[in-house]
Amino acid sequence: MGQLEDILASAPERVGSALTIDDLDKLEVELVGRRSYITEQRRALGSLDPAERPRVGAQLNEAATSLAGLIETRRAALEREAEDRLLADDRVDMTLARRTLRQGTAHLVTQTIDEISDIFTAIGYRIADGPEAETAWHNFDALNTPWWHPSRLESDTMYLDYGDPGDEILLRTQTSTVQARTMEAQPPPVHIIAPGRCYRTDTFDATHSPVFHQFEGLAVAEDISFGDLKGTLAHFAREYFGPARRIKLIPHFFPFTEPSAEMHVSCFSCDGSGCRVCSRTGWLELLGCGMVDPNVFEAVGYDPDVVSGFAFGGGIERVAMVRHGITDIRHLFDNDIRVNEQFV
Amino acid sequence: MRVSLRWLAEFIDLPTDDPAAIEQLLAGLGHEVEGVERLDIPFTGVVIARVEAIRPHPDADKIRLVTVDRGTGSQEVVCGAWNFDEGAVVPLATVGAVLPGNFEIGAREIRGVVSEGMICSERELGFGGDHEGILVLEGDYEPGRDFTDYLELPDVVFDLSITPNRPDAMSMLGIARDLGAKLGIEVREPEISVTGTEPATALQITVEDPTGCPRFVGREVRGVTSGASPMWLQARLRAAGVRPISNLVDATNYTMLELGHPTHVFDLDQVAGEQLIIHRAGSGDTLQTLDDIDRTLDPGDIVISDADGIISLAGIMGGGPTEVSATTSRVLVEAAHWHPPAIMYSSKRHNLRSEASARFERGVDPNLSDRAAARVAQLLVDHAGGEAAAGVVDVYPEPIEPWPVELPLALVERIMGVEINSSEAADFLTRLGLDVTGTDPLRAVVPTYRPDLTRPIDLVEEIARLYGYDNVPERLPLGTGGGLTPGQKRLRLTRSVLTGAGLTEANTLGFMGEADLDTLGLPDRDERRATVRVKNPLSETEETLRSTLLPGLIGAAQRNVSYGHPTAAFFEIGRVFRHEPSPIDKRVPHQPLHLGALLTGPVADELGGPVRPYDVHDATALVRALSHRLGWDDVAIRQRELDGLHPGRAAEVVLAGESIGAIGELHPAAARRFGLSDRVAVLEIGLESLLVEPEWWTLAEPSVYPPHKFDLAFEMSADVPAGDLLQVVRSELGSELDTAEVFDEFDLGGNRKSLAVTIVIRAHDHTLTDEEAQERRLRTIEAVETSLDVKLRGA
Repeated sequence: MGQLEDILASAPERVGSALTIDDLDKLEVELVGRRSYITEQRRALGSLDPAERPRVGAQLNEAATSLAGLIETRRAALEREAEDRLLADDRVDMTLARRTLRQGTAHLVTQTIDEISDIFTAIGYRIADGPEAETAWHNFDALNTPWWHPSRLESDTMYLDYGDPGDEILLRTQTSTVQARTMEAQPPPVHIIAPGRCYRTDTFDATHSPVFHQFEGLAVAEDISFGDLKGTLAHFAREYFGPARRIKLIPHFFPFTEPSAEMHVSCFSCDGSGCRVCSRTGWLELLGCGMVDPNVFEAVGYDPDVVSGFAFGGGIERVAMVRHGITDIRHLFDNDIRVNEQFV
Repeated sequence: MRVSLRWLAEFIDLPTDDPAAIEQLLAGLGHEVEGVERLDIPFTGVVIARVEAIRPHPDADKIRLVTVDRGTGSQEVVCGAWNFDEGAVVPLATVGAVLPGNFEIGAREIRGVVSEGMICSERELGFGGDHEGILVLEGDYEPGRDFTDYLELPDVVFDLSITPNRPDAMSMLGIARDLGAKLGIEVREPEISVTGTEPATALQITVEDPTGCPRFVGREVRGVTSGASPMWLQARLRAAGVRPISNLVDATNYTMLELGHPTHVFDLDQVAGEQLIIHRAGSGDTLQTLDDIDRTLDPGDIVISDADGIISLAGIMGGGPTEVSATTSRVLVEAAHWHPPAIMYSSKRHNLRSEASARFERGVDPNLSDRAAARVAQLLVDHAGGEAAAGVVDVYPEPIEPWPVELPLALVERIMGVEINSSEAADFLTRLGLDVTGTDPLRAVVPTYRPDLTRPIDLVEEIARLYGYDNVPERLPLGTGGGLTPGQKRLRLTRSVLTGAGLTEANTLGFMGEADLDTLGLPDRDERRATVRVKNPLSETEETLRSTLLPGLIGAAQRNVSYGHPTAAFFEIGRVFRHEPSPIDKRVPHQPLHLGALLTGPVADELGGPVRPYDVHDATALVRALSHRLGWDDVAIRQRELDGLHPGRAAEVVLAGESIGAIGELHPAAARRFGLSDRVAVLEIGLESLLVEPEWWTLAEPSVYPPHKFDLAFEMSADVPAGDLLQVVRSELGSELDTAEVFDEFDLGGNRKSLAVTIVIRAHDHTLTDEEAQERRLRTIEAVETSLDVKLRGA
């Protein structure tokens, strides 16, 4: 039996030095194959003394199992190494942008409209809209703007060659038209936010565009007060410019609100101490607002003795430009892909 | 308006002189502070001196030696100016004085004579001015006193933006009143008194247009001498941003700034017939205004005529001939109340905005006109040596009286959201100059300088203003709605599909010109030719509202090409305008919401991989992606030749049989005309009918049985759309169809093509046998060959 021991003793080293699957296959044939010593000894078991047979048989089985185990372990290792080599060859530079999943951007104006709309729909407002080509009645008369008001002149307002001369069709100069449209169409209460395009006879410069967007807010019910306006705008300021914002309302004048105010919000950049963003004032002038003038209610058939309401109107471009450090409004209409792709 | 703190101090004793605190007070009252300017003393060491003697310089012709009394004694200085004589009062920069520009005065030898100081010109003192000579002071100046004592310095000036409803706040006195009301401090009114001298004035004033001119006050001042105003008065004008001109003109400006009532001075000797007629201009009347512009007038303009014709555009600007000048000796002072809308109309139409028109268009207090005229007369007496003529011509046929407004307290609380009791409310209103009686409602009589207070709500605003907007507590009420409508949700989804597909949203102005439609190659009958024109367009190339989104998108692409970015993939969602009534309001034009997209330029899907141009297939892919994500099951693509598009690469987008838009490539000729050299794939569809919630879908249970796959290759005319072929396959195989896709298309020549389709089928209730699969295959071939002019290849 010395030979079996020799085989078992030398097997680990021999198996270990098989460097390819082929070598291992050959070694397997030699060690446990049909013509291997162990197989031949097993075949010869029948010629042994029956008393010896179980012991020798067990020895042989044990040796065969051990050898097979060695070979399988080695085979697994060799296979793993082979795969590792393949994978090494398959290595890529993970930082290389080889394939592109092109993604566009929604325009900053749209994103801002959606963001502001969401702030207000979350507190129970609906999003309303009205025509951009509007009647002078909805744009001016219903909003308590006297016939002689200079904003009606062609130097401010674009008029359209359309319709009855008596109707005077124009491009709306403010989204406040939607106030009138909405109140005409439904009874109170009203809670709407109306974002949209507006037009004025302005020449393009860094801060003016003949086309721009506004968002108009309107809340009308039986008990809406100036305090509600303040709270609502403060909520908006905090949602849009950050939770630490404060607002202040400064008395102002608009034909369609009384009392009227301008809303200022504490600067999001310096929190009120004064910086470049807020021209060192600590505050950003954001929008116009006020309590709906009774004349507006009367124009749309609401009873000012029964309902009250507030309205506010701000520039979409204005709030977006302030927040994103855009100093020239033309970037929002130029569609320069290098600018637009930043609208993430 | 620029408000000087020193001037303000004449009327009110403010509890603070801290500019920041005052700025806050003003802002809180609604007078936005646009700027705060500190006016500092621009020089030191300059004293008042009287010229005692002048003698020639022994060695120079052009300079003189001037002996001045400087209060503490006399001294001699060398002076090169000749515009003064003995007795003149002048500013003397003494040795050690520092003039603007950090120019220090030392003893200086000039041609052998030592000059211990310098007599100064306006320019040397930093007042600007173009006088070559030295500044000769006229009036009451005490030799030896520091010159700065007369300059109203230092000062702080607040540049206020006064809202259009507040004519009263366009003056120092008005701002003082508002501050006084806010702080509860007494305001001192200026003392105005003038004594008339006989003979009484012979002025004749006729107001033919009492609507345009409800009140006209005229006064005569005789014997004036035009000259410089006193330094303090000039300083106040300068602080308020008004350039001193002469004592005659300065008197009107001073009065306007002080009281808020603009006035005008005519040279009475130039007023023909010593009479004024106030009337509306006739069509075609002309007037050369002071700025030397010939103006054509119309009946909207109120004018003043003398016996010879129009001499002034009322309330806005006078004409040259009657203007006061250096030789004027008799002055006619005009203080009138003009109808605000008329002034607004005329100043806007003539593009003439002035300090005066800014006040008149807000509505100057009609009951202030007499005081304003008197104030001007008083200043002319005090500072121009004039003598007021007895008699005032005051045409005021229907005096405007203070009016009552009743204010129920409940309204105050309802609007402000704060309970204000009767005495508080009355106190606020009283402080504002209203005469208040009663408790609830309060009955307040409004002074005529507050034309903005006519209704109860106007009084609520005043109470809120004095109460302080800052003191009203915040409250957040909730609305009764919330969320987005299905259409709004789907609009957002549309946008997100498009951006996810790599398109960037454009925002274009929305104007175009007919020329754009010509360039697109649209014929006259095209519906996009029914444009809506702008009467006052921004430019000729933007004369109409867009009837299609394409010109805007093309413009965006062009611009990016010019920026060196030849690849553009844009979409825009916006309204287009058609010259037909809108379904929502027939008075306004139809303005449907459109989606437009444009893709052009080279694009590579893989680094180093092939670069391909964007083309029409990218556009059709977009429609399919949108249809899939938005559930537009009924949207189909119907190939057609369409105006403006490549004849072989154009299709209608069809919804339930109706065309809702077009897709294709711009006709190459049109693209070239736009300067775009690559293929330009475009898409434009009307969104309105698509932004509806589709019906709820129900799950199609996926089959658990194994698929059968077979390929079919068909030969057909190149015109047969693949979409038609697939449509036949779909309807033939019905619910057993898993997928049917064209996997190969090639040109057979002779206007023939081959389409190879791979089809996967499976039944929902059992495993299809080979025989069943073969039966489906044959059925499919038969259906296709019967419905279309198509043959199975190799059959």
